[in-house]
Amino acid sequence: MTAIEIGRLLRAGTTGFVVGCRIDQFSLPSFGDLVRVPLDRDYQIYGLIYDMHVDDDGLVRQLVTSEVIEETIIQDNRVNRNVPIEISVLSVGYEQDKRTYHLLPPRPPLSLDVIFSCNPDELCAFSKAGRFGYFRHILRARDLPVGELLAAHLQKAQRAHVQIGNPMWVNDAIQELITLLRDDYAVLMSLLSTVGDAFNE
Amino acid sequence: MNNSKSMNSDNNVQFGMGKTGIGYVVSGGLKENLQVRLTVSPQEVQEGAFVVIESGKWLFFGLVTDLQLGATDPRFADEQSEIRLPPDMARLLHGQTLYTNLEVLPALMMERGPELSSPEYQIWRDEIEVGIRSEPSALPVKTIPAHHAPVRLAGPGDIAEIFGKEKESGNFVIGRTREQNYPVCINLEKLVQRSSGVFGATGTGKSFLTRILLAGLIHHNTASLLVFDMHNEYGFDDTASDTKEKVVGLKTRFPGQARVVGLGKRALIRKRPPDFNLEIAMSDIQPEDIELLTRELNLKETTPTTLDALVASFGRDRWFTEFKRMQINAFTEDQNGKKVPADGSVAAWANANGVNIMAAEGLHSKLNRVFRLPYIAEEPASDGIGEIVRSLEAGKHIILSFGKHESDLDYLLVTNLLSRRIRRAWEQRTNNYRGSGEDEPRPLVIVLEEAHKLLNREMAAQTTFSTIARELRKYYITLLIVDQRPSQIYDEVMSQLGTRISGWLGDDDDIQAVLSGLSGRQALRGMLARLQPKEEVLLLGWGVPMPLPIRSRRYDKQFWDELLGRTHVINNEDDIISEMGF
Repeated sequence: MTAIEIGRLLRAGTTGFVVGCRIDQFSLPSFGDLVRVPLDRDYQIYGLIYDMHVDDDGLVRQLVTSEVIEETIIQDNRVNRNVPIEISVLSVGYEQDKRTYHLLPPRPPLSLDVIFSCNPDELCAFSKAGRFGYFRHILRARDLPVGELLAAHLQKAQRAHVQIGNPMWVNDAIQELITLLRDDYAVLMSLLSTVGDAFNE
Repeated sequence: MNNSKSMNSDNNVQFGMGKTGIGYVVSGGLKENLQVRLTVSPQEVQEGAFVVIESGKWLFFGLVTDLQLGATDPRFADEQSEIRLPPDMARLLHGQTLYTNLEVLPALMMERGPELSSPEYQIWRDEIEVGIRSEPSALPVKTIPAHHAPVRLAGPGDIAEIFGKEKESGNFVIGRTREQNYPVCINLEKLVQRSSGVFGATGTGKSFLTRILLAGLIHHNTASLLVFDMHNEYGFDDTASDTKEKVVGLKTRFPGQARVVGLGKRALIRKRPPDFNLEIAMSDIQPEDIELLTRELNLKETTPTTLDALVASFGRDRWFTEFKRMQINAFTEDQNGKKVPADGSVAAWANANGVNIMAAEGLHSKLNRVFRLPYIAEEPASDGIGEIVRSLEAGKHIILSFGKHESDLDYLLVTNLLSRRIRRAWEQRTNNYRGSGEDEPRPLVIVLEEAHKLLNREMAAQTTFSTIARELRKYYITLLIVDQRPSQIYDEVMSQLGTRISGWLGDDDDIQAVLSGLSGRQALRGMLARLQPKEEVLLLGWGVPMPLPIRSRRYDKQFWDELLGRTHVINNEDDIISEMGF
């Protein structure tokens, strides 16, 4: 399967990184997606998209004050942007020597490294490796919309696992979340309510 | 979300041989019992369940005494999260935050050795073979299992290991475990080694359970039985008071071994003639027999003195006959024309022997109830008591039916008098056995219904039975007490009871009495009060390895088929009709 590139790295730290992308790439990823950054042949970093940010520039500021904006101008502004769309990613693990670790990556990606969207097989492989150790990174990021991020991730991952015949995955995942948070009633109930919304049909 | 798998099943602890766990040990100790986190639905385990805990080289056997609901945070229990969350998610949440703890009373432990597949196991077995180690057996619990030791419900093999195997000699299936219906045995040889008791409020099936026990004892030929059958229930066929169904008598099924004795000349029991009749000779009645009727006859404190004087005047054999013959208010005139007691009157005898006339006449008048008893004869047609003793010595079983003599007076007098004679005979035989190497006496079990009448606090000191309960184990005589008010039985007697089998009891004092002298009383109290009113009994005491509530066997055709085989004697019309399928 052809890998889908979603952008290049703008800046990075051990716990996360920010990707810049063009408008034609912007429709590809979405909130909660798993992405990967291959660094060399045997090492790649995995992350979850938790924010997508469209910044303004001087021209946009001028244009928004106009009464009428022609469609061509809008398209031109979007396609030929000076400022890229920024996608923030939370580091949740890495793969080294064909083994997946749900630990923080030993070293972050570098500027302009290419970021790819994970396909369902990659998502399944990463999420079923180990025992949901990557939930730790999500739950620790209290500044992020943890519940929403988990809900989005579980929804996507569950779809992928159902396709490969592993419908029980989500039960195990929720069970692990309950185990991790059962001493924090308020956070757990809020999180379960959010996740519950994602699965309420 | 798929809901086909529950959190509980994930946590189920798997044992070898396909046994599934019900939980794991989380806390506790020997004093405050063990706490076990349940990993299956609470409805799968009941109070009283027999559980096995595997920890290291040891197996621990215990009894579930309580089930408690708990929560990791009380708010998880307070809020009905199943309303707020999708059902499957709520179930997962409850699986981890809401739980049930079992309280387990550890009773026994047994070494199981190293893992079967390990090389150490063979070494361990070899050490047993050559006698360096003793064969593992169940011991009273002296340590506790480790944290997270898996817990499972006992299987039939565990129950057989602890309570004995059905096929082994002396073992008798008394009932089955309540949840899984596994047979539970009691050892009849152990049962008769000490006195035992069958208790339960009225209507809980004491008589049926007693019949089952007696049938087992007769069939296994463990001991001779002397049944004081106050209500004529055990010998011949009877009709159940509640179901109106026919209840087979022991005589019907054991015609050769059981002998029904009717009290009184020409007595009929259930309209059938007994094997022989019992008449009591006046010479058999001793002052102590009268003294124990003090409360029943409302005798005065002067009675012992008067009785002593009677024995001194006429001897132990004749006092009763002579006293009965004496008259009251018989006067004559002396040579001075003065009114004096006539010869042959109580007053004349009292005067001559320095006994207070009023006391003697009072005693005579109160003994009138005894004098009038039709089964007391000056010269009985046969030596009924002797025949009973000889039958018991010969290994037969005696069911003494009281016929129409069902009053407390009859019961007190006859049981005590007979037991005294038997006690003397057995003491003699035991002394001969120990001294001169004669045959060992055959164990004798005296079955006492309404035992509180004979073994209450006031009577216990006077009757033979308290001595039997306390001491006569050495002389091969024990009691089987059947009673509905164990609290009325003297504590000293209760504490001597080896095996106790109790049905439902409502009264706190009765429960306390049944549990007296046993460890884990508090835990067992509730269990006794919550037994099913019918057919469920709790096995307790020295005679059973550990307390266990069971569903007792039913006293029905199936029981007899299992006990005697399908070929047991069919000797009445009803049986034949029933066998033919009508």
